Amino acid sequence: MIEFSTILAGFCDAFSLVNLAYVLLGVIIGQFVGAVPGIGPVMAMAIAVPFTFALDPLPAIAFLIGVNKGGLVGGAVPAVLMNTPGTPDAAATALDGYPLAKSGKPLKATKMALFSSVTGDTFSDIVLITVSAPLAVLALKMGPVEVLALMIFAFSVLAGLVGNSLVKGIIAAALGLLFASIGSDPENYTPRLIFGMWDLYDGLPLASVAIGMLAISEILRRLSETGGRVSAAINLINTGNPDDRRVTWDEYWSCRYVMLRGALTGTALGALPGIGSTAAAFMSYAFTKSASKDPQSFGKGNIKGIAAAESANSAVVGANLIPLLTLGIPGSVGAALIISAFMIHGLQPGPLLFENQGRLVYGLFGAMIMANFMNLCVGQLGLRFWVKVVSAPVSVIFSAAILMCIVGVSMATSGLFGVAIMLIFAVLGYLMASFGYSLVIFIIAFFLGPRLEISVAQSLALTNGDLTQILRYPVALALLIMSVISVVYLLRRNQAIQRVEKDAQENV
Amino acid sequence: MTMTPDRLSGAFFLLFGLAMYFAIIPVFVEQAEDGSIAPNTLPNILSWMVAISGGWLVLKPTPHQIQDLRFFAGALMHAAILCAGIYAMSWIGFLYVAPFLTLIIMIVIGERRPYWLALGVIVMPAFIWFLITQVLDRSLP
Repeated sequence: MIEFSTILAGFCDAFSLVNLAYVLLGVIIGQFVGAVPGIGPVMAMAIAVPFTFALDPLPAIAFLIGVNKGGLVGGAVPAVLMNTPGTPDAAATALDGYPLAKSGKPLKATKMALFSSVTGDTFSDIVLITVSAPLAVLALKMGPVEVLALMIFAFSVLAGLVGNSLVKGIIAAALGLLFASIGSDPENYTPRLIFGMWDLYDGLPLASVAIGMLAISEILRRLSETGGRVSAAINLINTGNPDDRRVTWDEYWSCRYVMLRGALTGTALGALPGIGSTAAAFMSYAFTKSASKDPQSFGKGNIKGIAAAESANSAVVGANLIPLLTLGIPGSVGAALIISAFMIHGLQPGPLLFENQGRLVYGLFGAMIMANFMNLCVGQLGLRFWVKVVSAPVSVIFSAAILMCIVGVSMATSGLFGVAIMLIFAVLGYLMASFGYSLVIFIIAFFLGPRLEISVAQSLALTNGDLTQILRYPVALALLIMSVISVVYLLRRNQAIQRVEKDAQENV
Repeated sequence: MTMTPDRLSGAFFLLFGLAMYFAIIPVFVEQAEDGSIAPNTLPNILSWMVAISGGWLVLKPTPHQIQDLRFFAGALMHAAILCAGIYAMSWIGFLYVAPFLTLIIMIVIGERRPYWLALGVIVMPAFIWFLITQVLDRSLP
């Protein structure tokens, strides 16, 4: 068990001026890019990861957490003002936010999004801090066979991300694993699929693959859709009534049960790897609407609709780190990017992280709490400015993002070879996304691939090549049973969520 | 049998999986005697998974629709510009290529306003140069 002094030291680290400055910077950048439709926190994190190379581990990861949390708040701004969510997570926010903005209350709508986002986020962070250490202690008792079963379980939860085609999900996962096998064989270190390019001997760089698939491919998609239009236009109505520009305490307090329900939904879904914040937001919105005495008012500017969506989508962020920190399994693309930041600094996320880097983990928790506080402060001060950001021309935003990606990957991979790989994966990512293949599944499979192969090899060695002996390990057996159950459950739940999202959009 | 986007991508993955299994993996995966699992085992299994799933998609496509082909052409054009830019960087460096690369991208997008063009072409590369070389003390590509 982690000593109290370590926990205290970690929190002290988090509250140092340098760390607070990086958290603040991350939150500002996150809110800024979240407010630009098409960029979003994931792309911002992907671009920022290589730049954290020059930082110490805690400020680096705290910075990324700030970007992620800030991005979710910023994403609500274009959703509310333009009905164009800056992030998919904010799509449910637009259902009531945009009508409220159109009725002359854009600041009330964006402020309610901010307050409920910070409330939901803080709730899930408290859950994360409370449950992750005990879970990590349990995870430490696992041997290679249990780890293999855990990896199979991790892959089974990817079923939650397959969307409307299981076959496409399988192809995306298999491709991710196949590309992860490029490099050297983990047992004999013989070259594998490197095509004579010895730069590939250590495998494809995670930074190149992640930034190519998540950032550049999205930029390519957005650029192809601009069609010569370089700026977005918004027209805001000013009613002149000061109450329309703020959220009163009574209004906030009237949403307490809505936000609690949203935070619980987001935390529960976020703790399960593979379930995104978009699903949480739509589920919370649907629950709130169905529980309301006045469901007809939803979709017409009901402030509770904004509270439901924002508290749920933000609560996913903290809860997503539960599987990451306790098991080393990324539950989302954002979590996968945080893992890559850990790895850049020579740290392996998982249960051992609590034992070997307890101070860092609790420093991270402290930084998360501070990021919520700063999100609130920056949001309060910056909302008026982010409203201007919404209309920034895409020509500047995307050309700057491209330059940052090139420089970032070049720094992370020590040369332009990694940048060339980034471009290849950008085209692959663009084509895969266009044809309906999940990039999230690809990236998570790519990340888990090498660990899966090592786990199989170790388990085979331990069981003398007879994998049926796994049945003699009760924890492994339980995990395998859970894998089967989760595949069945997640595939059914996936269909149910799609129905809920479809109904919610049709009812508006 | 009509050609749908899923059939097209399924056929590609069917051929890709088969090509990996029969042509690429046997040549480009070096074999080893020791170890619990042969170096080609995982790639072979995955190739078959891709091929079988691709074949399944050809037979049972979903109703997924893709964008208009002109969007693909636009995306590929931007990718080609980036490719040329990165190639040029390998010869003469980021600092000299970045302003031209930004200018071309902005003009292709449709930007014509001189102040925004100046921001993208001069201010942005200068900011990146300052951030990387002066603040982070790293070198540009």
